[in-house]
Amino acid sequence: MKQNPVIAFFPEASFGAALNSVAIAQALARRGAVPVFICHPGFTGVFAEYGFKEVHLPQPHQTGNAADYWQAFIKRHLPHFQLTPLQQLPTYVGPTWEAIVDTAIAAESALGATLAQISPDIIVLDNVIMFPAIARAGCPWVRVISCAETELPDANVPAFLSGMAADDPGRPGFEVAYLAATATAHRRYGRFRRARNLPPLPPGQFLESSPDLNLLLAPDLLRHTRATPLNPATHLMLQGCVRDEGQFDLRLLPDHPGALVYVSFGSLGAVDTGLMDRMIRVFATIAARFVVNVGAFSEAYRQVPDNVVLGAWFPQPSVVAQSDLFIHHGGNNSFCEALYFGVPSLVMPYCWDGHDNALRAVQTGVGGALHRSDWADADFRTAIETLLRDTAIRQKLATASASMRQNPGNEAAAAAILALLHA
Amino acid sequence: MDRQDRIAKTHAGLARRVLEQARLLRLRPGDHLPEQAFATAFGVSRTPIRGAYKLLEENGLIEHRATAGYFLLIDPAGDTAALESWPDRAQGGLAETILADRAARRLDGDISVSFLIRRYAATRTTVLNALIILQSDDILTRVPGHAWRFRPLLDTPNAVADSLQFRLILEPAAILAPGFHLDPAAARAVRLGLQKALTGRIGTAAFHRLDTDFHSLVALGSGNRFASDTLLAHHRLRQITQKDLGTPEFRLRQSSEEHLTILDSLERRQFDVAADQMALHLRLSRNQRPDAANRGSPPMPNTGPRTGPNTGPNTGPGR
Repeated sequence: MKQNPVIAFFPEASFGAALNSVAIAQALARRGAVPVFICHPGFTGVFAEYGFKEVHLPQPHQTGNAADYWQAFIKRHLPHFQLTPLQQLPTYVGPTWEAIVDTAIAAESALGATLAQISPDIIVLDNVIMFPAIARAGCPWVRVISCAETELPDANVPAFLSGMAADDPGRPGFEVAYLAATATAHRRYGRFRRARNLPPLPPGQFLESSPDLNLLLAPDLLRHTRATPLNPATHLMLQGCVRDEGQFDLRLLPDHPGALVYVSFGSLGAVDTGLMDRMIRVFATIAARFVVNVGAFSEAYRQVPDNVVLGAWFPQPSVVAQSDLFIHHGGNNSFCEALYFGVPSLVMPYCWDGHDNALRAVQTGVGGALHRSDWADADFRTAIETLLRDTAIRQKLATASASMRQNPGNEAAAAAILALLHA
Repeated sequence: MDRQDRIAKTHAGLARRVLEQARLLRLRPGDHLPEQAFATAFGVSRTPIRGAYKLLEENGLIEHRATAGYFLLIDPAGDTAALESWPDRAQGGLAETILADRAARRLDGDISVSFLIRRYAATRTTVLNALIILQSDDILTRVPGHAWRFRPLLDTPNAVADSLQFRLILEPAAILAPGFHLDPAAARAVRLGLQKALTGRIGTAAFHRLDTDFHSLVALGSGNRFASDTLLAHHRLRQITQKDLGTPEFRLRQSSEEHLTILDSLERRQFDVAADQMALHLRLSRNQRPDAANRGSPPMPNTGPRTGPNTGPNTGPGR
């Protein structure tokens, strides 16, 4: 084995995948490996701030600029986030898969050249779609599933993005609708794969399992009992994947009695400042302190209540560790961080696997779920206060947290990745 | 809060400001703390300054010598623990509370005395004293119609980005202006502080102090008095109001090492090199995280102020 193997990370352009990859890369660097991040345009500097080398994919040719794109995106999709998972299939999920396929096709040639330049010993792909250049790179590749376990289909596992139980009578209808919504993107992606000599994938699927190693961010507490068990030789379940971050200084909080609640709906959720403002008005009526991640939009808020602190970015692991409740959108990274630190979740999903995690939080008794916006103030307040009072949930989470901390997912992932070099 | 409490908090806040001012003035143990100079600097009478001195004396940080006045017992630059352990800014005087509330967006950009009297259950005199303190720090300005207006603070990511852009224009130029002179003793103190910090974990609060110390040192050395004065005022504003943007520790360490490299160049009198290094340092210090990201979408670049698409009646920059 090389003394300092080069591990190329290629996370999708979302913070969940990016920060999950940072946690694994930190553990690899501690073992002497050299992580290199292949960055999508727009993520420049995110990994360098954690001390990692970045290689950048070129900006694809675009009509219009990213700011205009986001204006249109927000206008188009904010109303869709109110819809049920089934209703979101044609309005949000289908178009998103189309865009993901576009990204994969656009990145292909530059990615091939980039991989040739880096010459990695292993590639770690935290994405939802396969890039043929990775299969061609001539080294082992690792699939990281930082979304919910539902991304890997099974008869006993709920349908991906459905937000419904595995045995829900609505499941067949949802699955038909899912295949219909993704059919065009899947056909187009299938042609692209054929042209690059990759075998076809079943309908609705865009990424195969790695023959070498697959890492699922799926703590034991959330696992489903599969009809067809995953091969333990190639599939490893990560018990949380928490990066080293700075310490959140509690002294920043107002001098106010009560429990500490952390609120973050990810960078996409922060865009909906109207909804966030409505929530903040409810927080003002609760005897607790609220740390609220408002992303880039703090200038949208005024007359913030005395028990609420807004911030553009928090060292999330440190804040969660000190919290009594975490209100989030069901992003798998956030959900697993809450479990890792033994903190109950109130999941208010707006899209993708957030729906699956909202249900899973309730099914496994590690938190509650609420529609992202369809609530009366009293309902929202009651949901928060009930979880803050629930001592049984806290005891259950304390046990799970202790077990997860004994086997941190990023350390297990790093060991498994490096073991591929001995194989 | 009764009157005695309020007075005590005003004194605590002033005491902290005295220590900070002594640090900026590079005062050393044994140096005199003239009451009138501090009263003038903070825009208050000598009575509250005496109250602040009394508090500092009780805490063993300064001493009173009969007929001669008060003298420093500690080195405010070296003994940062004394400063950091001093009552939190939020617990300090009303001026600090008002400033913290504005930075937390609890207060709008324009405020009135009567509103503050109601909000803080304080007397008109206490509120006016606090406003005068903030005015003397160039944080507030008086506008017609009995209102006071906050000047721009470094309280949002966009404001911090604007600050970096402004500094990128001025800081390298301040180094290149003819007559740059680095105070050797102050440079040594800053270097020691940075080296000490790099031996352990660097927290954001400690980094922030070291960072403003370093950039104030460079500003002080500029041969152009206006560049120096403008930058010093800006660094003072940064010191008081800049919000933590959650920069990972790796970048804090890297930034501290860049400070040391620039200091090396300044001490070698390679000012053109130092100016280039400063520009690079400031560019690297910009927060580059996208404002939003979503699978299948180009990340939203973090350029320019945004108030969100759906902010209802509260939309706006806080006025």
